[in-house]
Amino acid sequence: MTNYILKRLGQGLLTVFLTVSTVFILIRMAPGDPAVSYAGPLATSEQLAAVREQFGLDRPVLEQYWIFLQQLITGNLGQSYSFQAPAMQVVAERMPYTLTLAAAAILLTAVVAIPLGVWMSRRPDTGREFGVNVLTIAGQSMPDFWTGIMLLTGFAVLIPIFPASGFATWGGLVLPTITIAILQIALISRMVRREMTANFAAPYLTVARSRGVKNSVLTWRYAMGNSAIPVFTALGTRFAAMLNGVVVVEVVFAWPGVGSLIVRALETRDYPLIQATVLLTALLAVGVQLLIDLAYPLLDPRVRLGKAATA
Amino acid sequence: MSLDTATPAGSSAGTPARQPSPSAVTKADIAAAGATRRRNAAKWKLIVGTICTLLVIIPIILAQVLPLPDANFQDLGARRLPPFTDGHLFGTDQLGRDLLSRVLHGGQVSLTIGLLAVLVSGAIGIILGAAAGYFGGWVDTVVSRVLEAQMSLPLLMMLLLVVALFGPSIPVITFVIAIAQWPEVARLTRSMVLVEREKPYVSAARILGLHRIQILIQHIIPNVIKQATLVVLLLLAQAVLLESALSFLGAGPQRPFATWGRIISDGQDYITTSWWMVTLPGLVIVLMVVGVNLLGDGLRDRPRRKKKGA
Repeated sequence: MTNYILKRLGQGLLTVFLTVSTVFILIRMAPGDPAVSYAGPLATSEQLAAVREQFGLDRPVLEQYWIFLQQLITGNLGQSYSFQAPAMQVVAERMPYTLTLAAAAILLTAVVAIPLGVWMSRRPDTGREFGVNVLTIAGQSMPDFWTGIMLLTGFAVLIPIFPASGFATWGGLVLPTITIAILQIALISRMVRREMTANFAAPYLTVARSRGVKNSVLTWRYAMGNSAIPVFTALGTRFAAMLNGVVVVEVVFAWPGVGSLIVRALETRDYPLIQATVLLTALLAVGVQLLIDLAYPLLDPRVRLGKAATA
Repeated sequence: MSLDTATPAGSSAGTPARQPSPSAVTKADIAAAGATRRRNAAKWKLIVGTICTLLVIIPIILAQVLPLPDANFQDLGARRLPPFTDGHLFGTDQLGRDLLSRVLHGGQVSLTIGLLAVLVSGAIGIILGAAAGYFGGWVDTVVSRVLEAQMSLPLLMMLLLVVALFGPSIPVITFVIAIAQWPEVARLTRSMVLVEREKPYVSAARILGLHRIQILIQHIIPNVIKQATLVVLLLLAQAVLLESALSFLGAGPQRPFATWGRIISDGQDYITTSWWMVTLPGLVIVLMVVGVNLLGDGLRDRPRRKKKGA
């Protein structure tokens, strides 16, 4: 167990390290000069050189990488060029907003998608189920930025129930959450339907039914019990993905999260800020993945960590 | 037909010519059976999916031929005209450009990027997935690790990063979307090849003295390619959505024509006064992506009748 956790931690940290290194290389490979965007288009070449020296951009790339590695270990990725504050601190301040939004969205998804998927699997191929099925296809076909603008116009401008942007009140959470959840509900409910249908067709369920087990117990204890791991994994993976910033939705709703931060950091070529964002979000994503794996034995007593066969 | 002709002629001599079916299953039962309903659902998905897709794709292909104003022609006297005025079917935008023309020409760019990206990611995914599944060993380890690593990467963020750093040109965007999508194809191909390589025909080919690569290319890949291409079709829908999200964030191609996401983000500021500038391009995207998704679903659920003849 401990060995397993240590091994997974090591793998996770390796992934994070490779990710931030890739980003480091990509940034240095790319055309464009952060000094120009910092000092402005009118800066003289002396000013530019001064800026480069201040940020350490005049040194050889390998030396920059060495400095970067040292910063990684201390957890201090340097000053953000545009915020004039430690980059990690800037990102950490934005993180709670993204976390709130992601948690709300995944909660709404679970509450709607699981019952919906179960309902679909109980009545497969009926007219009504077909209708819902088509609706979920539509749900996964709508571009989220478009859905967001539509909801914004409908429920913040035309019928002003919710605030249009930002996170001043809890009401501001409603529209972005719904926007994100529409796609996730479509994907997860289809998945629940697939899993449950497969379980309903399994022999053990026929046996249980012939022994007179109640329908609700069949559905929630038997079939759901066996669908729990894949469904939980899917929800967790989606949540981890959202921590990387629900970029588009954050931009549409002017949500002060990590997603809108990275867009700004890219525009200004704020190297430390880009790297801090990538580092922190990758760490969180890997951490969530690990927690999901550790939760498997709780969902299914047959699972023993570390001894899981890779199917 | 086999049942009717197989009945011996003599046995039906004493009974009426129209013998009732010996089975208690009536035609109504068959029509209400799950399998039939599933087949019908698949059929409807295919039909509706084809119609939706063609409704968008045909005008896009014909954009140059249709009698439309130039997509970049600005007429400041005809700004923000609502749909159906002065021959502007979708109305005009804030610079007096014909919205329908913009959507169709932008659609050409979006579709080209989507198709190219899907081709590239399909090729990479099938080759690497098949290699990982067939050869196993270190090839499998490397490919699977890369797949896993990419799963835990901040995807859209990385795409934005690459596009922001290397410029929003069509090749860069195509490449970026292809890289984002290949894992899905690779994972599926790998799992199918794992099953396929244990089948007797592979041993037979090996005994006949075929090289491993020859077996893979000539015998295994043809057996999995059909299902793999089905996934590729669904990826096309995702590619179009991904491209529109990138261009919405300003990381889309600007030349020769702005693509769908960009058109929507342009119209965002005028949404309260000119609803059509956002709503209509969005509906075009939805129609097309719903169409492609329905097609993919229908093709997957379709009962495979051809097996009988083969």
